Amino acid sequence: MMTWIKLALRNLFRNRRRSLFTILAIGLGFAAVNTLGGFTEYIFTNLKEGYIYTQGNGHLSIFKAGFLKEGKLDPTRYLLDEAEVTTIQTVLTHYPEILVVAPQLHISGLLSNGKVSTIFVAAGRVPSAVHTINSRARGMMGRIQLFDGKPLEDDVIYGVGLSKGLAEQLKLGLGSDPVAMAPTVSGQINALDAQVFQLFDSPVEALEDKFMLVPLKFAQNLYDTSSVDRLTVLLRDDGLTEPMRAQLAEDLAAQGLKLDIKTWNELSTFYTKVKQMFDVIFLVTFLIVFTIVVMSVVNTVSMAIMERTREIGTLRALGFKRRGIVGLFATESMLLGVFGSLLGTLLTLLIWFGVVLLEPTWVPPQITRRVPLEIYLVPDYMLYSVLLLIVLSLAAASLPARKAARMQIVGALGHT
Amino acid sequence: MNRAVPASLIELRDVSKIYSLGEGGVTALKKVNLTIQRGEFVAVWGPSGSGKSTLCNLIGLLDSPSRGTVHLDGQDVTRLPDDHRSELRNHSIGFIFQSFNLIPVLSALENVMLPLQIAKRSGKLSKMALERLAEVGLKDHAAHRPAKLSGGQQQRVAIARALVTDPALVIADEPTANLDSENALRIIDLMRRINHKNGTTFVFSTHDQRLLEQVDRQVLMRDGEIIEDRAPEQMESRRPLTVRL
Ligand SMILES: Nc1ncnc2c1ncn2[C@@H]1O[C@H](COP(=O)(O)OP(=O)(O)OP(=O)(O)O)[C@@H](O)[C@H]1O
Ligand SMILES: [Mg+2]
Repeated sequence: MMTWIKLALRNLFRNRRRSLFTILAIGLGFAAVNTLGGFTEYIFTNLKEGYIYTQGNGHLSIFKAGFLKEGKLDPTRYLLDEAEVTTIQTVLTHYPEILVVAPQLHISGLLSNGKVSTIFVAAGRVPSAVHTINSRARGMMGRIQLFDGKPLEDDVIYGVGLSKGLAEQLKLGLGSDPVAMAPTVSGQINALDAQVFQLFDSPVEALEDKFMLVPLKFAQNLYDTSSVDRLTVLLRDDGLTEPMRAQLAEDLAAQGLKLDIKTWNELSTFYTKVKQMFDVIFLVTFLIVFTIVVMSVVNTVSMAIMERTREIGTLRALGFKRRGIVGLFATESMLLGVFGSLLGTLLTLLIWFGVVLLEPTWVPPQITRRVPLEIYLVPDYMLYSVLLLIVLSLAAASLPARKAARMQIVGALGHT
Repeated sequence: MNRAVPASLIELRDVSKIYSLGEGGVTALKKVNLTIQRGEFVAVWGPSGSGKSTLCNLIGLLDSPSRGTVHLDGQDVTRLPDDHRSELRNHSIGFIFQSFNLIPVLSALENVMLPLQIAKRSGKLSKMALERLAEVGLKDHAAHRPAKLSGGQQQRVAIARALVTDPALVIADEPTANLDSENALRIIDLMRRINHKNGTTFVFSTHDQRLLEQVDRQVLMRDGEIIEDRAPEQMESRRPLTVRL
């Protein structure tokens, strides 16, 4: 075995330039795919973390059945009343996997600065619960504060947060006192004084000029209700999302509740869209790399076979079987794959290290703030790339190598 | 095998070879019959295009006849599957080529070891190979790559390679055509001595009349036919030529 690897190695050295270019093509392709993969992973992780932790949406959201479809038209019909919330919470306390259960009430109405008013939509949440969810964020999203001003508080119910666009429209700043108005669940118009505690970038661009964050009690007081429209559930581990959804659906149905349980990625349309886009980009990059690798290996092996036809005849005369010839060229191309992957790994590490060292920053879409640009090292991707590139090199070599193995020995020997 | 009469090493029966070429075909061999016994030292000679190489290739199992049968050591090998023929070549037949055909990336020693490695032989392969190199007087050149050797030296390495598996038969198609006359004589003399010493059967083709003095048997070909097959009368002159190695 060693003999044939040695022979293959020496044969690769015969045409150093050609071998080097092939290895370079494989290595660069490897690095391109893995760098892009690492960047994609960074984006996905942060979008996901951002949605689940930073924005405090948790892994699962529990709604009354029909709320997501009909709730916009008739919100009050689809609220969860105190009794229902208590039942749900009782069921949920049985699971140690559930870290936080946070009720929310999303409201809309008019916000006024005393002179003019404009439409707002607001998420009414329990600030302490949201804070607990926030604090579990890992990575970049855990480190950056996404608002100016001070945090909201459970008991200071008039303290609210405004998206910067909304604040700008009403010429409000930190400490200003706008008035929120909305119809209550029973149809009366209600108004509440508020104070701007914080300004932030809306997580959804379309809401930049409307979005508010308010304490749950503020929302409930404005709507004059003790109900909520959803319960946000934070799990111990992202991987538990699907199994827990199934488990909870079963348990809650057993309690006679008609509920909808949605996972974070079902609700985060932005994540899904970005993921689809990156998947396409990744696929295209991958196909290009794939084509380049296959073409350069096929070219290298075909050229080698042409140059070494007489040698193939000699080896066959000495007793090499057909599969021996295939094996020899397969070994050569496999070595190209191995060296290419090694080079690729090295390049990927270099790029990764460079990014770590230089700490570049950028303003990603949907976040109006400079954040560090990172490239994650994804060992899984690298491992699969190595395997795939080696298999690919082997496959690319197999066709010309098979042809070489089937050559007439006499003809091959006569080749000059 | 209990055979009263041991089979001839090689037996060609009514062997024809037609190369398909465009519409028609070139008949390279016409119903050739030839029997070679173990230990013979046979020269195939004749003008260019007479079919010498074709004959050597068929005897060496490098090619198959269009018609007729080839027997090696009593076994019909005409239609054996490729793997089986490869094994037979590896174990039983050594090859010496006109242009030496050493593997350029392997040292002299590694070239000689190659047939043993193909045979997946175990043991001290390099020692066996080194002995063969010593036999052809190139022990000191074991580590040299072919490019660093002269033509004559390369052909001697090739002879060592052909002999390393102790084959019953060595085929040499024009082994001296790329050598000057002194080296040519030296190569033939070397083959002759190995033939004497080990009883290895040699079949070689040549253009060179002078080399024929060294052989037991001359097979003269013309237009794809054997037109003369004789042993020279003066058996005494078959002594190895005294040439310094
Ligand atoms: N692959 C081939 N395709 C077609 N014709 C061939 C092929 N090989 C040999 N021939 C023809 O077969 C005949 C015999 O060729 P062969 O090579 O056996 O002759 P030779 O005696 O070895 O000649 P030389 O002394 O020139 O080597 C010639 O007419 C040759 O042109
Ligand atoms: Mg010839």
